[in-house]
Amino acid sequence: MKKIEGVMTQTNAPSGVDPDSIFFVQVDATKCEACGTCEEVCATGAIQSINEDGIRQVVDPAACMNCGQCLVNCPFGAIYEGVSYVDEIFEKLKDPDTVVVSMPAPAVRYGLGECFGAPTGTYVGGKMHAALRQLGFDYIWDNEFTADVTIMEEGTELIQRVKEQGKKDARPLPQFTSCCPGWIKFAETFYPDLLPNLSSCKSPIGMLGPLAKTYGAHETHTPAKKIYTVSIMPCIAKKYEGMRAEMADSGFRDIDATIDTRELAYMIKTAGINFNSLPSQAPDAVLGDSTGAATIFGNSGGVMEAALRLAYEVLSGKTLKDPDIKVVRTHEGINAADVKVPGFGTVKVAVASGLSNAAKLCEEVRAGKSPYHFIEIMSCPGGCVNGGGQPLDPEIRASLFRNTVAQINKRFRARRVTA
Amino acid sequence: MKMNRRGFMKACGVVAGYAMLGVNMTKEAVAASMDFVGLRQKSVYATDADSKIYKYRKSQNNPMVKKIYDHKDGFLHEGPCGHMSHHLLHTHYVDRSARVNALKAKGYKFKI
Repeated sequence: MKKIEGVMTQTNAPSGVDPDSIFFVQVDATKCEACGTCEEVCATGAIQSINEDGIRQVVDPAACMNCGQCLVNCPFGAIYEGVSYVDEIFEKLKDPDTVVVSMPAPAVRYGLGECFGAPTGTYVGGKMHAALRQLGFDYIWDNEFTADVTIMEEGTELIQRVKEQGKKDARPLPQFTSCCPGWIKFAETFYPDLLPNLSSCKSPIGMLGPLAKTYGAHETHTPAKKIYTVSIMPCIAKKYEGMRAEMADSGFRDIDATIDTRELAYMIKTAGINFNSLPSQAPDAVLGDSTGAATIFGNSGGVMEAALRLAYEVLSGKTLKDPDIKVVRTHEGINAADVKVPGFGTVKVAVASGLSNAAKLCEEVRAGKSPYHFIEIMSCPGGCVNGGGQPLDPEIRASLFRNTVAQINKRFRARRVTA
Repeated sequence: MKMNRRGFMKACGVVAGYAMLGVNMTKEAVAASMDFVGLRQKSVYATDADSKIYKYRKSQNNPMVKKIYDHKDGFLHEGPCGHMSHHLLHTHYVDRSARVNALKAKGYKFKI
């Protein structure tokens, strides 16, 4: 176990293991104060009381979507991460025969600075790329580039689905987004009948992995087998996604290692890099350039807004003058909107933040009563910026009052049981 | 104003309460109004709209997106959802309901 930005983390870099058998998060029973916060925030109920004292555990990995909301909300730091590739990545960075490439998600650059004293939400994209270069990554690629590619693929798929309605073998509407790995496992586990509604597009990192080892290998004249791809995510569930058996379309493992924002901060600190004094640097262009549409993937409603910026122009044949589509921006809950597109009509969309809200929209689709063309789902309330792999909100563990109440309650219950 | 015994005791209680909890509660109140997640979200939208950081705001305008989908010699020259896209960028999903259903049959209760 290592302490990484306040989170206990097991050094465990599985290879060729079925991710369904791994506890990506688990409760340390010796630290659990039985306050029940984790159970409250868990959408599936995978984390629950296992004894009379109210000690919680993830009862089975099959029921856990790996979102990590329990971990970031635990006031006692009692929940640990079960997988960390940090040590393996340090080894690969030292190996002259391995070409290590970085692939950071949009939301990482809005959380990473907090680990170095910056105010909440400070954008540190340029410093992040500079830090990755100093760590010794050979190519600085950016998952935001494939967020733009995702929009091209997923937006095109949506337009195809809309046009093929009424025809034989038409793919169903609404189309669900497929970027969020917690949501994908959730749909596969609890709503398998709705899988035809999921966009067939991989997530942006699911696309960048195989592109790195094909297109990227070609562009940089690097043998694909030498490339080691590192996915850097605001997310714990992305570790599960990277290990999925089918993520091997490049002829190799598409994603060799996945770490989260906290682990990147740990690596930068361990390497002795003075993050705050770094210059702002750009990623390597070919698989690194991105747009504003890509960076908003980190917010709930962002994928929707980015997709609409494309769909509007394709369906209407006109230029969208103001790219702000504020009606779909979602802070929490469910947000539905009608977007008027000239020459097409109304595009009906919905955005759900949090898996219990997703379940409500799934029930509607299952009942055949969903009026929407396109639904965006993010497992974490607010989107990836609030992901389970992001730096912790210092207030949650600083809440002396809540901690005290929970500790008193635990003592009280313990006494009652033994009396 | 005259301070009677009761008033004094009450004032002591309030002062003691604030001494124990006040600093922390004030911090919580500030945090709630500033809203941790909201701050990160706000920063994302501000960066999207900052032309010094992002020259373009639509995916289809990204020059490297145009390069990879270039009809003549792009890596994905068939365009979005073409053959190469389907091979590398699209996927299929797996029904994973069996294990949770088995747990439910054993008596485990879940929220869904």
